[in-house]
Amino acid sequence: MIELEHLTKDFKEIKAVDDLTLEVPRSRTVGFLGPNGAGKTTTIKILTNLISSSSGRAVLNGVDVVTSPKRALANVGAVVETPEFYPYLTPMETLHYLGRLRGMSPNDITRRGKDVLDEVKMTEWKGTRIGKFSKGMKQRLAIAQALLHEPEILILDEPTSGLDPRGMVEVRETIKSLKKQDYTIFMSSHLLGEVQEICDSAALINRGKLLIYDTIEHLKTVTKVAKLEVTTDLDVPPQIMSAVNSMPNVRSAEAVNPRTFVVTFDGSPDQRADLLLAIQKQGLRVTGFSPVGLPLEMMYMELIKESR
Amino acid sequence: MAEEREATYEIPSDLAQIPTVWRYEILRYFRSRRLLAALAVVGVILSVIYLLPPLYDSPYSGTDTEVSLHIEFDDLGSGIPEYVGSINRTAIDGGTLEVFVDGEPYPSLDGVNWVFSSREAGGLGFNAILFMPNVIMQNVSEVTATYEWYTPPESFASNFIGFVSILVIICVTAFAADSLVGEFQNKTGYLLFPNAVKRGTLFAGKFAASVTMGVVVVGLYYGVVAALSIVSARGVDDDYMLSFLLAIEYLIAATAIAYFISSLLKGTTGALVLTFFLLFMILPIVDGVSMFSGVKIEGSVTFAAGAISYILQDPYPADSMMDVGMGMEIHSFYPSPETAAIVMLLYAVIGCMLSMVLFKRKQLAG
Repeated sequence: MIELEHLTKDFKEIKAVDDLTLEVPRSRTVGFLGPNGAGKTTTIKILTNLISSSSGRAVLNGVDVVTSPKRALANVGAVVETPEFYPYLTPMETLHYLGRLRGMSPNDITRRGKDVLDEVKMTEWKGTRIGKFSKGMKQRLAIAQALLHEPEILILDEPTSGLDPRGMVEVRETIKSLKKQDYTIFMSSHLLGEVQEICDSAALINRGKLLIYDTIEHLKTVTKVAKLEVTTDLDVPPQIMSAVNSMPNVRSAEAVNPRTFVVTFDGSPDQRADLLLAIQKQGLRVTGFSPVGLPLEMMYMELIKESR
Repeated sequence: MAEEREATYEIPSDLAQIPTVWRYEILRYFRSRRLLAALAVVGVILSVIYLLPPLYDSPYSGTDTEVSLHIEFDDLGSGIPEYVGSINRTAIDGGTLEVFVDGEPYPSLDGVNWVFSSREAGGLGFNAILFMPNVIMQNVSEVTATYEWYTPPESFASNFIGFVSILVIICVTAFAADSLVGEFQNKTGYLLFPNAVKRGTLFAGKFAASVTMGVVVVGLYYGVVAALSIVSARGVDDDYMLSFLLAIEYLIAATAIAYFISSLLKGTTGALVLTFFLLFMILPIVDGVSMFSGVKIEGSVTFAAGAISYILQDPYPADSMMDVGMGMEIHSFYPSPETAAIVMLLYAVIGCMLSMVLFKRKQLAG
């Protein structure tokens, strides 16, 4: 379990993390969302003893990471940014180094090392020195080392960052499989689709402040703002576009092409049905009426906009 | 609240983690070019110092054949008048000594005719043949001697040990200067620090590895010089081990200084350059000022390091002053071995403490 209590981090005049309180229950996967500079990585760095907090507490499994980092991190695996590895070591040697620090026996490390390297598809490279590995290979190895000692908590900072599309899919699949293995996962990302796909809950921060923290399912339902793509069988005249723009709950309507326009709509599902009827009353034969973009994305944009 | 799961593996104690850090740091140096470079420096310097004198007609040992002796009458303070034939070599093998009078062998006859006298003072040997009062000396025209000579171990070792303080600086630059700052600049700290290991443990393992590498290189240097000394100087100087211990103490003190710089700076290049020039140039220049100012800077670690080579000299050199005219004086200061040992120890302890505090406080915020 991860607990952040009134966590604050000041960098001179900048408040990178501002009174952040958050709890990640055991065996849950929580996405930590926010734009660049929101304070995601700073929070994760405090949690992993890379930097200290200005005030507040960061607690892992009941142990304050600032005052007792060794005990707090005993049951934690972490990937922060894209870590660099020691170029003179091979992946297996790296796992042996970290495994020994974590109290594993050489036999355990060799056995587990094979498993985790297999899990991230790095077995082929286990005896090659890391010096010339690509960023994607290093990222996969970083995940492998985090899993090595079978920790209860995984802290992942943008785990798919720097990976090609295939690598991103593979890492997501790995995290999904970890979810089934009773891990508590706290992962930051600015990829909303990734969080929506992988996580049980999401916490959104901006300028160091927590904006919202809820389950993905609930966040989807509370998101009222949606982008709706409307397609008609004929070209849409300008006066009808103007009429749509002034309809209730419509924030904007923008033509994509002569027969398609996108409406940014802030209303309930009932009001959405009313919108469709109102468009049809303008004499348009609607052949398509569907939401575009992810609900989480809409919510994200809204909350970010509001917090500015 | 759900019950927390126990860690699968028991985290080792801080002490038990230090050898792990040490082992992988050592591996790093063994796989780097720095060790090769340091060993190459050792090889080149040893070769140059060892081979150059013989190449310039100054071998370490040899045999002088039928060398004319200058005979003087002297009582040598013994009260017994004797004829003394001085031998112009620092160290000779008395067992090989043969004396010839007017070309004819003139044996010692167990001291009846002459005895060999050898004394050492201030690194200089005084070798002479003391002839017993005998009428034969008044009627001879030439006395010659044949003997094997060699360079004394003290002089031989002094040729090499003068380089040790520079070798220590090279080792410290190669194996310590960027050890801490590298974790931050190269971002390997992102891999290492989020583990259940204290920064103090990482510091201790790294420091031990840096010192170990230095001891390997400096120890190799001393070992080879000792072997060469046995071969070429028929033995090793009595104070050779003391010199080695002082060198190791200087290595530890210099490593602590390097770690302090490494924990203070943000870049590896700056740490490497500052460490090297601080120990190689800046502090020695400060030490040099004492020659003219007349103030003995005993608190300087590089001044203290002078004891590494001075300890070989017998007797140990004493401070002196020379009047060069126009009201100018030039002072020659020498650190006492005891003071030097204490100064280096203080640098090691204070340097370690400061750098560990800074390393613990340093944040991976970039």
